[in-house]
Amino acid sequence: MNEVRLLLRKDLLILKNNILLIFRNPARLIPYAVMIGYFVFMYTRGITGNKISADELTTEAAGEVDFALQNVIGGVTLLALAFLIFQLYRATKNNVTFFKMADVNLLFTAPVKPENLLIYYMARSILPALGGSLFFLAYSGGQMAKDFELGVLGIVFLVLGFALFFFMVFPLRFLIYTLHTKFGIIQYIRGGIIGLGVLLVSMILIPGLMAEEFWQGMFSWIASPWFDLVPVVGWSRGMMGYFVNQNLILSSGFLFLYGLTYFTVVKLVIRYAGYYYEDVLESTKSNEEKLEKALGKREVTEDTYSLNAKKQLALPEFGVGAKAFYWRNYVHSSRQDFHPLIGVYTLGMALLGIIFAGLSNFDWFSHKVVYIYLCFMIAFYFLAGIGRASIGDLKKPWFILVPASWTSKFWNMIKLDLLQTVIFSLLLIVPSVFLAQIHVGLIVVFPLGMIFAYLVGLAVNLIPQVGLDEGWDRILIKPLMIGGIFVFGLIPSFILGMIVFAVTDQFIYGLLTMVVGLGLVASILVHVTLDILKRLEFKEI
Amino acid sequence: MLTVTNLSKTYGKQAAVDDISFHLDGGEVVGLLGPNGAGKSTTMKCIVGLLRKTTGEITIGGYDHLSVEAKKFFSYIPETPYVYDLLTIWEHMQFIAQAYGVRDWQPRAKELLELYELDDKEKKLGRDLSKGMRQKVSICCALLPDPQLLFFDEPMIGLDPKAIKNTKLLFKKLKEEGKTILVSTHLIDSVESIADRIMIMKDGKIIGNDTVENLKIQAASGDGLSLEDLFLELTKDE
Repeated sequence: MNEVRLLLRKDLLILKNNILLIFRNPARLIPYAVMIGYFVFMYTRGITGNKISADELTTEAAGEVDFALQNVIGGVTLLALAFLIFQLYRATKNNVTFFKMADVNLLFTAPVKPENLLIYYMARSILPALGGSLFFLAYSGGQMAKDFELGVLGIVFLVLGFALFFFMVFPLRFLIYTLHTKFGIIQYIRGGIIGLGVLLVSMILIPGLMAEEFWQGMFSWIASPWFDLVPVVGWSRGMMGYFVNQNLILSSGFLFLYGLTYFTVVKLVIRYAGYYYEDVLESTKSNEEKLEKALGKREVTEDTYSLNAKKQLALPEFGVGAKAFYWRNYVHSSRQDFHPLIGVYTLGMALLGIIFAGLSNFDWFSHKVVYIYLCFMIAFYFLAGIGRASIGDLKKPWFILVPASWTSKFWNMIKLDLLQTVIFSLLLIVPSVFLAQIHVGLIVVFPLGMIFAYLVGLAVNLIPQVGLDEGWDRILIKPLMIGGIFVFGLIPSFILGMIVFAVTDQFIYGLLTMVVGLGLVASILVHVTLDILKRLEFKEI
Repeated sequence: MLTVTNLSKTYGKQAAVDDISFHLDGGEVVGLLGPNGAGKSTTMKCIVGLLRKTTGEITIGGYDHLSVEAKKFFSYIPETPYVYDLLTIWEHMQFIAQAYGVRDWQPRAKELLELYELDDKEKKLGRDLSKGMRQKVSICCALLPDPQLLFFDEPMIGLDPKAIKNTKLLFKKLKEEGKTILVSTHLIDSVESIADRIMIMKDGKIIGNDTVENLKIQAASGDGLSLEDLFLELTKDE
């Protein structure tokens, strides 16, 4: 197959150029060297530690159910299932692509067979999944090596289980879209996927309600060994379980099932995809734009994530100078949702919290759910800060040219977000405090926690974007930076908060401790951000 | 060389290309003119196989346009010149030579890179090129296999004046060599001097299809209208 040779050669050239590029600027390797040093340190530490035996890792050791372990296994399985269902649902909206726009321009019009291109790229898509799982193993393996006896096969099955799970998602999504374009059966597929979601929720609700306590029973089905037979998620879990059960036949069986499924999916895709170039055109273009945004080459456009893009507006001016940025965000937000300050989704999230608060008055519903929900919201706003899309504004010429101080530009850029966060926090916490009869201090502490979490997330996104020149450094160093902030800032705050909570038995004091820690981290990072912004001006000149 | 029969491309109820038919003989240079959103790029993308046609037939050199045989006849220069970020200019040439099975491609590649003043940049990576340079690479890649039929989709966008002049000269040279060219553009003067024929598109339909001379005669008879005036007259909203 000429196509395979051609593409293989191209990819090898790209690999060579990538390596040359890395070595052209050796200073870029310093953070990676620190990372490798960390892994080596963790592994060497792991060799001498006490290992956990396989017997200790069963959910029903000595006839007693280990609810903590059951909930950990169940929680991770649930996350994987939710991810899979979400990915399959996304396939009913838009296609997945394995291609770049350069492939579209240079390869799709060349005299090559479309099916050979698809086979090559589909097979090649295991590399990022494999790379990601190796990275995951390197990250987590250090810790695991300390506690478990992994062995070579254990590592192989861990990597394969992780990689194959992510790998299978793309061919499955491609198949769904292919069936949609070929037979127009998207409504049925969508219905099936929604049904799958409902089934999943039932598999948690039914055993949960049947158990003495909901939290004790909710994962009893999906954490049980028979769930390993469930395609993709279960197979991966079963395969990764080798380091616990050391059952080579079982893990190999799951691997075989994966192979068989992949073969079938590829056969079906090739059979029904036909001349698929148009099907991948839009998603390839959109992926390219996303990558350019991630690499800082392109700004996020006005219509990204908009729900209400065609809304006609006649907003008055808010003032001159940097206030124009606040006005611009206000307009953007008005088109993103149905009100610029509070939207449908945020109202829904606040309502959910209030319902939890109301239910906590009943004996069968714990106050803990409300507290967990509040903590979840803080974590969610941290992630929202990381994912803050309009960071591209900083690269637009008018952001630099508008005659105002950097502090005022930065303030006006985030003002609306902060306002929205405060309004949402108050909408959630004020009724919740009175309904659930929890500490009144939460009305102050919770919104502060939300603001600090958002600012930390925002700074984590912004500092590498502005501070690092190389796009790939930004992508790779960002997780490292997040890790650093977690290890040295957030986790200590969290642990301290937990200790205070354990000592006082009062959620408010635990949260207050955590929020103070978060506030310290946020103030340091905002200081760094403001400093970095000055560099933006210098660089642009 | 190229025959398009009753080609339509619809998105939902919207017809981007509405039942058009035309033919290009070997050695003919045809300009596809029209305002933004007329359907020029969609037509071209349907012909080269990037978009699926809703109805109609397209043949290139007697073969169905989607067949590997048909693709050996043509090259396509897209409107937006995407290149591989991590391949050098020279490696792009090497890649295209392999894809089209071009033997002894190096002298031709050198000649093309010299023409577009890329010869001193052949070791530059795609990611380090400006849009104009990427456009030049795209043109060089298209010309390397020495195809019989060339599709240029807005080729002058992003090029500097010298490269525009070179491209016009190149069109002339290709025409002398007997190549067939279909150029989509909304810049009338970029094809006026070299096109044998001009097709004018509006709202997915071909509303004018004649030689440049005939169109000029038509323009002159209409109260001293220039070709540009005629184009604007034909494409104006009712």
